[in-house]
Amino acid sequence: MARNSSFIVLCSWLLAVCAFAANEEPKTKNQAQVAVPFRPEAGKFPALENAHSYRGELVFVDHANRRGSLRIQGVGSFRRNEPHPFALLPYGMVRYHGAPADLRDIPLGTMMHVLAYLPPDPKNSAVPVLPINNKENTAGFRDRGTAPAENHILLLEDEPSYDLRTGKAWKLGEVVLQNHAGLMVATREPTQGSPGQTTDETMTFDASTRVWRGRECLGIEDLIAEGTWPAEGKKSLSPQVVQLGLTWKPTAGSVFNRFHIADIWIDDAAMQRATQRQTKAYEAFIRSRWMPAWIDAVEYGKFGRATVTVTLFGGMPPALYADFKKGIPAMMNGVEQTLKHTEGGTAGPSQMSARGVILDVTKVHGEAPIGSSGIQIRFETDLITEGLRPTRVVRLRPADWPDVHVPREEYINGGSARMDERFPTPAIFPKY
Amino acid sequence: MMFLVRCSWLKTFVVLGSLFLVAGSLNVAGFAANEEPRTKNQEQVAVPFRPENGKFPPLDKSVAYRGELVFVDHATRRGSLRVEFKSEFFRSPPTPFAMLPYGMVRYHGAPADLRDIPLGTIMNIRAFLPPDPKNSSVVTTPNHWYPLPLENHAILIEDEPSLCLREGKTWKLKEVDLQNNQGIVLATRDSQDAAAAKDPEEKLTIDSTTRFWRGRESLSLADLVAEGTWPASGKKSLGGQSALLGLIWKPCPDGIFVRYHISDVWLDDKATQRAIQSQTEVHMSLIRSRWMPAFVDKVEYGKFGRATVTVTLFGGMDPSLYADFKKDGTGAINGAENTLKHAGGSYGPAHMASKGTILEVIKTPGVAPMGSSGIQVRFETDLIIEGIRPGRVVRIRPSGWPNVYIPREEFLGEGSKIEDRFPRPDIFPIYR
Repeated sequence: MARNSSFIVLCSWLLAVCAFAANEEPKTKNQAQVAVPFRPEAGKFPALENAHSYRGELVFVDHANRRGSLRIQGVGSFRRNEPHPFALLPYGMVRYHGAPADLRDIPLGTMMHVLAYLPPDPKNSAVPVLPINNKENTAGFRDRGTAPAENHILLLEDEPSYDLRTGKAWKLGEVVLQNHAGLMVATREPTQGSPGQTTDETMTFDASTRVWRGRECLGIEDLIAEGTWPAEGKKSLSPQVVQLGLTWKPTAGSVFNRFHIADIWIDDAAMQRATQRQTKAYEAFIRSRWMPAWIDAVEYGKFGRATVTVTLFGGMPPALYADFKKGIPAMMNGVEQTLKHTEGGTAGPSQMSARGVILDVTKVHGEAPIGSSGIQIRFETDLITEGLRPTRVVRLRPADWPDVHVPREEYINGGSARMDERFPTPAIFPKY
Repeated sequence: MMFLVRCSWLKTFVVLGSLFLVAGSLNVAGFAANEEPRTKNQEQVAVPFRPENGKFPPLDKSVAYRGELVFVDHATRRGSLRVEFKSEFFRSPPTPFAMLPYGMVRYHGAPADLRDIPLGTIMNIRAFLPPDPKNSSVVTTPNHWYPLPLENHAILIEDEPSLCLREGKTWKLKEVDLQNNQGIVLATRDSQDAAAAKDPEEKLTIDSTTRFWRGRESLSLADLVAEGTWPASGKKSLGGQSALLGLIWKPCPDGIFVRYHISDVWLDDKATQRAIQSQTEVHMSLIRSRWMPAFVDKVEYGKFGRATVTVTLFGGMDPSLYADFKKDGTGAINGAENTLKHAGGSYGPAHMASKGTILEVIKTPGVAPMGSSGIQVRFETDLIIEGIRPGRVVRIRPSGWPNVYIPREEFLGEGSKIEDRFPRPDIFPIYR
């Protein structure tokens, strides 16, 4: 089991210190666990060792409600596996290209790694609630493990993010080419220390595969023209170490689980550029949507005055946390579990939010659990608004972040809001 | 006034089948270049047009508008756009659209599937009324205080570079004003046609996530600043530099109603051609695995299940796909729905499909209407299956294409559930 104390990220090629730490691979560890599905509680970050891990192809996204569907990998025929709905926990994190991301940033078809729990509040789940032992369900064509009840996600990350977090990379073995497409044999290994037990994985690639080298974006035909890869036939590439972006495409023959290489980052510079770009995209995104957090305590004063203590959610670029400084003016607004702004969205979240001053910024002692930044903010307002109550989710921002109106699907329209705007029903997901 | 205009002006906007291909240079898109829809459409009489089953509608009856891609249900070929009005863009609710069976998606100047388009991309659409309102997969009468378009069944949806390449336009970059790795670019979209109406100058935002494509390089703003091409801070004239722009939307501060963000800049033809080539490869691979969609024109029944079927292949594909259909070649035809989902795909679409021989490949004389390739295929089978009837949509493939199983959400299964065949519009939230 992964221990929180060691779940930190150490990626020499990440530009910033992320809210993770290098560790053993969650999947391997979880496979060794006793399967006791875990249900998180409101207001508490769940223990990582209780998470269930799996991976799958992103098939559907409803980014405004932070949910979607994954085709989960089992041991049988991947293509038969039905899209499996998931929801992100309010403190759930998405990572893409080794950087924080929003669901809208992830291209459909991308293979994602997941750490997930049971729904914290089944009656208000935005995705179907399944029997607790559903990962054992093999009814019909269903492959074991492809429809787990643990569909509320703490961490959803693409292949490079997963590998960077866990200190791994792909070692390319052999390539076989015909008409600018072919098969690649590679192994995923730790970048440091003994490789341990590894298994060769055969993957496809084709003329649409992007090869990133420094600031170049190459195609397979460029590698052939350079003589790095053969135009036809086999070539050993060993021991080239790269990062891979994976997708899935239907495969001919009786191949059950074979993934497709969408991107190859050949060197650190290329990977760093991808990480840097996604980091910047996400920083701009959070500055316009505000930082999500949990309310730890509210001390009520007179005439609407109150002091609110919140814990900022984790996984953000450090530059965002650094913007929260003692003594600066700030704003706080109530949001739903989907992180949608609840109040005054139509005139911009600033209009109805509680305004005040940051009294204190505190780094909590010890290791912060995954999902938490470990940073507490004490904020004083002279007019507390509804939604700011202990265990509720809020969004806050320093006053100097850009004051923008968020788009219609990302806020709840005040008093006219229908119940299913606050609590999206799982009815949108097809039943196969 | 909304940017939603009709285009009966387009009497001559028809597609020559032979032109509706990406030419060798990859710069000539598969459309007849024409006048700017927005300007012309504003002059038009609003007569909503409802296409008929089995007939390609005249493009001059379509309505043109543009908006941000906000939601995608690619398996059912539908989604939502935030339609551009000349008022606050953020208030415009996601408006559902469905692709007509012969409706085309274009991205980076090449054919595409909805799954290929990143959420947030600004798309240009041409659409009609629902051909069959009672079975529409999207709402037929959007009810909102914004005048949302009733024409929500798309024959063409394309991103900004695709529109510019199709209409022979380029952006001319006039001036950049930068501060802290972000700023404003002044630009105009110019036409090669000197007689065409001039577009007004636009202010577009730019930041450190904007990608600049030059040859095979993928550059950032920081790279251009380091080279001295762009200033680190302040204004600089860009001298009307030609470029293609990829546009998205981000919320803007300061009460700005509609201002788009530059996600990508293609600085030269080589870079543009590489983007076109990459997307073309992606789509060719998709169609070879999902089969070519077509309308059934005619069925001549023989004895004991034998029949000769004449189909018209849908338009907008890469020419090499059409070239794979050869006289006397073997192939297979399968029934499909208006969503292009295969019928009976649990064992792969080839399992239940009618197999046979291509008797003839006919290029229809004259100019093919938009949506059609202008190519008819006569196909003889010894066992005609249900679903292959005049006016119905089918998918057809030459035997040389890979025989793969498609994923669960892209076929109907046993077809016992009516909503599998006729998806309901319920999945779309209603915004007031």
